[in-house]
Amino acid sequence: MGPDTDKTIFSSYDRKDGLFDEVFGKDGNVKSVYQKLLDLYGARSIEDYVTLNNKAKSSFFNQGITFQVYGDKQSQEKIFPFDLFPRIIDPKEWEIIEKGAIQRSLALNHFLWDVYHDKKIVKDGIVPIELLSSSPNYLHQMMYVDPPSKIYNHISGTDIIKHSDGNYYVLEDNIRCPSGVSYVICNRTALKRALFGVFNHYKTHTVTDYAENLLNLLESVKPPGVDSPVCVVITPGMFNSAYYEHSYLAKAMGVELVEGRDLFVENDFVYMKTTQGPVRVDVVYRRIDDLFIDPMEFYPDSSLGVPGLFAAYRKGNVTLANAPGTGVADDKAIYTYVPDIIKYYLDEEPILKNVHTYHCSRPDELQYVLDHISELVIKPVDEAGGYGISIGNKLTKEEIEEVKVKLKANPRKFVAQPIMSLSVHPTYIDAKESFEQRHIDLRTYTVLGQDKQFVLKGGLTRVALKEGNLIVNSSQGGGSKDTWVLKQ
Amino acid sequence: MLARVANNLFWMGRYIERAEHVARFMNVNYFSSLDAPNQLSQSRQFVLRSMLFMVGDPVYDDTLLLDEESVLYDIGLNPEKNFSIISSIKTARENANSSRDLISTELYESLNKFYHFVMNYSKELFVKTNLYDFTVNVTEMTAVLRGKIRGTLLHDEVYAIIMLGVNIERAIQVTRIINTKFNDALMAQGSYGDPIGNSFEWSTLLKCAESYDMMRRLYKKSPNSSSTLEFLILNGRCPRSFMNCINQVYKHIHELDKKVEYEKSSTAFMVGKIRAEFEFKQIEEIQDDIQGNLDTILNKMFKISENMEKEFFNY
Repeated sequence: MGPDTDKTIFSSYDRKDGLFDEVFGKDGNVKSVYQKLLDLYGARSIEDYVTLNNKAKSSFFNQGITFQVYGDKQSQEKIFPFDLFPRIIDPKEWEIIEKGAIQRSLALNHFLWDVYHDKKIVKDGIVPIELLSSSPNYLHQMMYVDPPSKIYNHISGTDIIKHSDGNYYVLEDNIRCPSGVSYVICNRTALKRALFGVFNHYKTHTVTDYAENLLNLLESVKPPGVDSPVCVVITPGMFNSAYYEHSYLAKAMGVELVEGRDLFVENDFVYMKTTQGPVRVDVVYRRIDDLFIDPMEFYPDSSLGVPGLFAAYRKGNVTLANAPGTGVADDKAIYTYVPDIIKYYLDEEPILKNVHTYHCSRPDELQYVLDHISELVIKPVDEAGGYGISIGNKLTKEEIEEVKVKLKANPRKFVAQPIMSLSVHPTYIDAKESFEQRHIDLRTYTVLGQDKQFVLKGGLTRVALKEGNLIVNSSQGGGSKDTWVLKQ
Repeated sequence: MLARVANNLFWMGRYIERAEHVARFMNVNYFSSLDAPNQLSQSRQFVLRSMLFMVGDPVYDDTLLLDEESVLYDIGLNPEKNFSIISSIKTARENANSSRDLISTELYESLNKFYHFVMNYSKELFVKTNLYDFTVNVTEMTAVLRGKIRGTLLHDEVYAIIMLGVNIERAIQVTRIINTKFNDALMAQGSYGDPIGNSFEWSTLLKCAESYDMMRRLYKKSPNSSSTLEFLILNGRCPRSFMNCINQVYKHIHELDKKVEYEKSSTAFMVGKIRAEFEFKQIEEIQDDIQGNLDTILNKMFKISENMEKEFFNY
């Protein structure tokens, strides 16, 4: 494969002013961390690149790293859209991200303990009580429950963007069941095979150690009195869209992947049904939503959960990771208080910035939002997956009026933020047969254990594949890129 | 290991094995009949009926004229028929999906590739020209899967469960094949003055069970009913024989039930008893009532499978 002089990778790459490009500076020069990659690949032809990309895709397909798309008659298997051109983060920037992610996770953990115990933060007037009492994710069943090692959000996914000012901002915290980490590892595997020789020039941190660290930290939060804990991953089942990830994590940790029907509770202890009879389970990494984990305590018709699991948890006989009720701390209304939460519990300045947020629940802020909808992003506080988001400058007049009606009807349900310009990254677009600028974000994965923390050095760079789109969620047609964190 | 997952792995083994036998049976019967020595064995209708009999969907109406393309499609690629090769592979993969955390990446990837090969195979090509290509590919891919099972899994409970599925299914399929070809031999009997003992169908039978070459090496003469049955049922050194399958089942069940003295109600005890019976059986005892004895063997295998469900797969 010789370089094709006709059309090289970036020959038709169009840089728009006002967008922060991760690879090219304002003057069009290549940024230093990308220089070597461009030296190696910049002169290759688009065709070369497509060949490599297709090979990587078929490897995903054969390995069954796919998700189901349900059609009229037959369900189709698709691979998660992915782009071979990696995102590279230099060690100094990464240090900020890593420290910031740990700081946020620890602060939110303190917050969770507090809101399910004495509610000091409310009594001290930092967070209004209405935010808790009106939150559907606040579980009164968790009041005065002491989780093993006092940890609630064992696994956090923090979504971080780079704004056009070059600074990182946190867009949201995900501390219920954040997903996507298996794609981080798959993307890396694919890149190591496809970009032969490139890794010789880049000292990149590994991402394959996630599972061993996760298991290590899960074992550290075992219930008191247990010597060598039995950990399991619980999944809703193979028809769940994240099933591949659940099976990957169980396999990589070498623990059982169970469904609700594999477990039962007797005398407030949890057991799994094996070929050799019942075996006691101590730590459950659950990938089932709060309200489905135990039909005796929450949704009575849930067949995914385990009857009696919550009672066993309350007694301290089993660890659930993450703890039930964490959703109260990652909804978009609490988000705006995170800087205050960090100061209150840790007495530190927030390392990662928050995007300024207007609370529609406050009358004066609601008025501002109603007057400036075209400059704002309106988000429902309790929806995941990028659903229900309205981006002001993309709305027609009629749509703006519709949004106003919704806001006035239920102000607590919404927050608004200035439209942030997510940074862009060159991404190969199949339909255009060329590289184009696309908006990206970064989901980092933080794990909290007994007196130790771990941040995966890498993370999932998500790409909004539609031109100009700012929503990167995979359910909204987003793709992903491998993310390299360089060593010092 | 989880009881539910054990059940899935057991059936994964069974379905992989089943796909192989059906594919080989189609291949061998179809092509050996093209130049068979007598009129009846050469007839399309005879071969198609034989195939349907083997998969457990026999046609009893003698006057019914079968359509070759639709019979081939039903057995090979019809997803609506649960005896079809495509259904077996789909179910095998579904079972593997639910136990992906336990099997090796290599094994899963091979099964997944196999699944996509079968799912994407053109129906048109298969029924018109590619019967040979398709069935040979299926038998080869199942051989690859068995290689991955043996070579990429820890030989523990997981492996034992899969091998139990493989060997129980093999015993059942080989017995069904013997039964089908015996039935064919009965029908072809006298059509060219041959006694049933020396029918052409015995060679076909051995090829269907992939045992023809082994048998020639051992006996060094044309197979007849007695030598063929002895080889396929009682010869423990033939990897396809019932005797070998039951030996394997006996070996692998030990991984699940490690007691020195088995309880009388256990599967291991049941398997041991059947094995002891056949170890000292003579072909003369079977030959008196071949079909009756084949039925007994099948029922024994079904009983083992049922007992395993109660003992190990209870969830």
